[in-house]
Order: sequence, then C-alpha cells, then structure tokens
Amino acid sequence: MTLMTNVLQVLLLILLAPLVRGVISRIKARIQNRRGASVWRPYTDVLKLFRKQDLVPASASFVFRLAPMVVFTTTLVVAAFVPLLHGSALLGVTGDFVLLVYLLALGRFFLMLGAMDGGSSFGGMGASREALVSTLAEAPFLLALMSVAIAAHTASIAGMVQWTMGQNFFQFSAVHALAFAALVLVAIAETGRIPVDNPTTHLELTMIHEAMVLEYSGPSLALIEWASAIKLTVVMALLIALFVPWGMASSVSALALGVASLVMLLKIAALVLALALVECSVAKLRMYLVPDFLGVASALAILAVVFTALMR
Amino acid sequence: MGLFETAAAKALASSGVFLFMTVLLIAAAKRISTCIALFSVQSLIITAQIIAVSRMHHSTEGFVIAGLVLSVKVIAIPYVLYRIVEELKAPRDVSSSTSSSQSVFIAAGLILLSFFAVRPYVGVLGGDQAMLAAAVALVLTGGFLMVSRKKALMQVVGLLVLDNGIFLAALTTTFGMPLVIEIGIVFDLLMGVFLMGLFVFRIRDTFDHLDVSKLRRLRG
Repeated sequence: MTLMTNVLQVLLLILLAPLVRGVISRIKARIQNRRGASVWRPYTDVLKLFRKQDLVPASASFVFRLAPMVVFTTTLVVAAFVPLLHGSALLGVTGDFVLLVYLLALGRFFLMLGAMDGGSSFGGMGASREALVSTLAEAPFLLALMSVAIAAHTASIAGMVQWTMGQNFFQFSAVHALAFAALVLVAIAETGRIPVDNPTTHLELTMIHEAMVLEYSGPSLALIEWASAIKLTVVMALLIALFVPWGMASSVSALALGVASLVMLLKIAALVLALALVECSVAKLRMYLVPDFLGVASALAILAVVFTALMR
Repeated sequence: MGLFETAAAKALASSGVFLFMTVLLIAAAKRISTCIALFSVQSLIITAQIIAVSRMHHSTEGFVIAGLVLSVKVIAIPYVLYRIVEELKAPRDVSSSTSSSQSVFIAAGLILLSFFAVRPYVGVLGGDQAMLAAAVALVLTGGFLMVSRKKALMQVVGLLVLDNGIFLAALTTTFGMPLVIEIGIVFDLLMGVFLMGLFVFRIRDTFDHLDVSKLRRLRG
C-alpha cells in the first residue's frame, strides 16, 4: 500500500507538472490584463511536439540526441525523492539530499553539453550563462539542505520531512526560516524564473534556458519542456515538504490521503499564486547582478548552518 | 490556557527569528521604501512582544506603551518617511557602498557576533538568549546601515533600527522602562524624524543630491 502511494506520488508529480505551468502562465496573463492561453496548453504543446520530426544539426554528435533523454530521466528520478502526499518517497531510503542536488546538476550538465553540441552561438552563450548560475546556486542549495539535515539528524529528504512534521507548527526555528529563504532564492535560479531568467522570452540578450534549447525540435524539445515543467513542480513540492509539511497523511488510508491531497493542492495553489505575483511585479535582473542575488542566498544558507550549532 | 494562548506563547517565544529575518532583509533591500516597510514590520513584531510581556506581568502600563509604539513606530514614522521619499522625487535606491550580498554577509556576521556577545550575560540578566541577541543585533545592524548607506534618509532608518534594538534590550532584560521615560523616548524619536526630514530637504535643496559621502566641505 505504501509502495502504491509512493508510485502514485511520482506519477502525480510527472503528470500534473504541465498543468502547474499552464496555471502559472494563465494567472500571469490575468494579472497583466490579457486573456491568456488555456491551462491545458502545455499538454497540447508537448503532445504536438512528440508528433513532429526531430531535426538534428549536421554538425551535432550523438550527445545532442542523448542530452534530452538524460535531462528527462534525471528529473524523473529526482521526482521520486520528494514526498507529496505522505511522509515517505519512492527512493526515500536509498538516496539522500546530496544525490538529489547532483542529479539535478547532472541533468543540467547534459543540457549544457547538448546546447554546445548544437553548434549555434546562442547555445554556447546560454550554456555558459547556465554554468555560471548553476555554479553559484550549488553552494547555497547544498548548505541550506544540509542545515535542515543537521537539525533533523537525517540525510534523507523523507526523513527530514517526517522530522519536521513532528515539530510544533508555532515553534518557528531560525534554521528553517533561514534555509527556507535561501532555498527560495536558489529555486528561482534553479528553475529559471524571473528575476534570474525569463521563461517566456525569446530575446537573445537575456535568455538562459531558452537559448540552450533553441536548436532542439520535435520529441527532444518535448522531453526538455516536460522535464523543466516537472523540475518546477518538484522544486515547489520540495519546498512545501521540507518547510510546511503539516497536513500530509501520517497513515496510508484513503481518507487521510484524500485530505492530504486537498491540503497539498491548496499549498501548491498558494505557491503558484505567489510565484505569478512576484513574476509580474519584479523585473529581470541584469546578468551581472545574478551573482549578487545568489550571494544573498549563500549568506543566508551559511547562517542557517551556523544556527544549527547555536540553537541547540 | 487555551489552544490559541499556547500557539501565541510558542510563536512569541520564537519571534526573535522574525527580527533576524527583518534585519537580513533590510540589509538586502535596494530601495528606501522597502527599508521603511521592513522597519514598520520590525516595530510591529516588537509591539506584539510588548503586549505579550505586559499580559504575562498583568501591567496596564505595558498596554499603553504598546499602543504608543504601535501608533508612532508602526504607523506615524513610516508614513512620514514615505511622504518624504515621495516629496523628494530623488532616485529611490539606497546607494549602498557594499553590494546586497556583502551587506547580508555582514549582517549575518553581526548576528553571530551578538549571539557570542550576549552569551555571558544570559544567565545573569535572565531572558531568552535569542531575544537578547536580537536586541544587540538590531543595534549593530542599525549602526552598520548608518555607516554603509549613502542616502541621507537611510541614516534615519538606521537610527530607527538602532533605537528598536535598545528598546528591545530594555524590554527583555527589565520588562520595559517606566512609562514616563518610554513616552519621552518615543516622542523624542518622532521629533527627531521630523527634524531629520527637514534636514534631508535642506540637503537636497543646497546640494541637489542626498549623497552624504559627498558632504565633505562646509558651505556658508
């Protein structure tokens, strides 16, 4: 039964990810006084792309074809680490938070390789920018997760979630507040949202992620788009699971899981609304201000780790 | 002791966390108006602490002080500062001499420093270590803001943050000063902000900017 719920969790994350993306762009459109596309648009986009021809540049090697599959697979495996409805995950016992961070890094590494293999100058430019952003984001990501791990005395994500669920809701811990602030900044950089990267732009001067996928088409592009949607949802679910897990099912029964999925839906809706509001009210940072942005995240994450010793 | 009371007690016991967050956010903020809003939030947290302390000690004076702090520090002073920012029509950034990540690093260092600074006194003075450390951290970051920000208005904000720290230190160690003194301090602060506002206008009219780092010579 637990295994079934865990499989269900992963399937939910994978299948609902495009919907989350669609809802975000719909809300953003409404805030900006546009009507906006249907919330199901990302699904039709992906389905359409799967039916199209996959064009490969003449100069590209096998890495170009391999990269989207690696990106998609690593994102799928990451999705299996994050508890959604229940305080456990499919791969909760086998891997810890370090594996999660570096699986994401592996996917990004292959995306950069594929972008450079495509041979266009935009691909190389996007890849070098992505390399800069991900290098700067890696330290605060690891440190923030580590501070929570130290507080919870466990390295597995599911273990941390279970520990937090056992804490008093009103006992705000400084470690969690600081780690949350750092992880929010990292998550923005990691998923390529405003103010670090603009997911809707096709202006060459500003784009990071879009520049990397410029040469891709057909099923490869579908895999990349779907993977980035899953990544966004997984990072959201990770933030919720680590910092506000209250309401998750503690036992595996139909009623508890129903309540948990309703609560989770509300939390994700709140996060989606917050993201849309922020993206509509904040301007994208200049590329040279991104290190400053992530430097703030690093400072917060380091302080979070030091606080684990102070607050004992 | 109902559920609400328990929740409120727990939340207040750990409200030092929120004060640390406001300190770090003020350090990271790039606009003067953001800093003012954060100062207002900070004062609101302190007001909540005053109410909690005076409820615990059944003192009516505490409620008067809480009302005073609420009306002056949470509403009046931020409103006046907002108006000044709007009337000045000057660029709205804080023009810091350190980047925001450096400022956050320094603020984080100051928070740690204050934890170690109050450690020997926690046993003697009583009170929560985190709260006492928050008071010292507010004083230190207030000073840091005054030193590192170049806009004349940010000197006012730094001073106000510093004053919040002193107030919080008095509250955590001796459960607040006598009412007369508190009233004096609060009105002193209000007058100070008005005077600083006038000064800021004079600085702008005389020099056409608000950058205090350029005020190096006396002018007749």
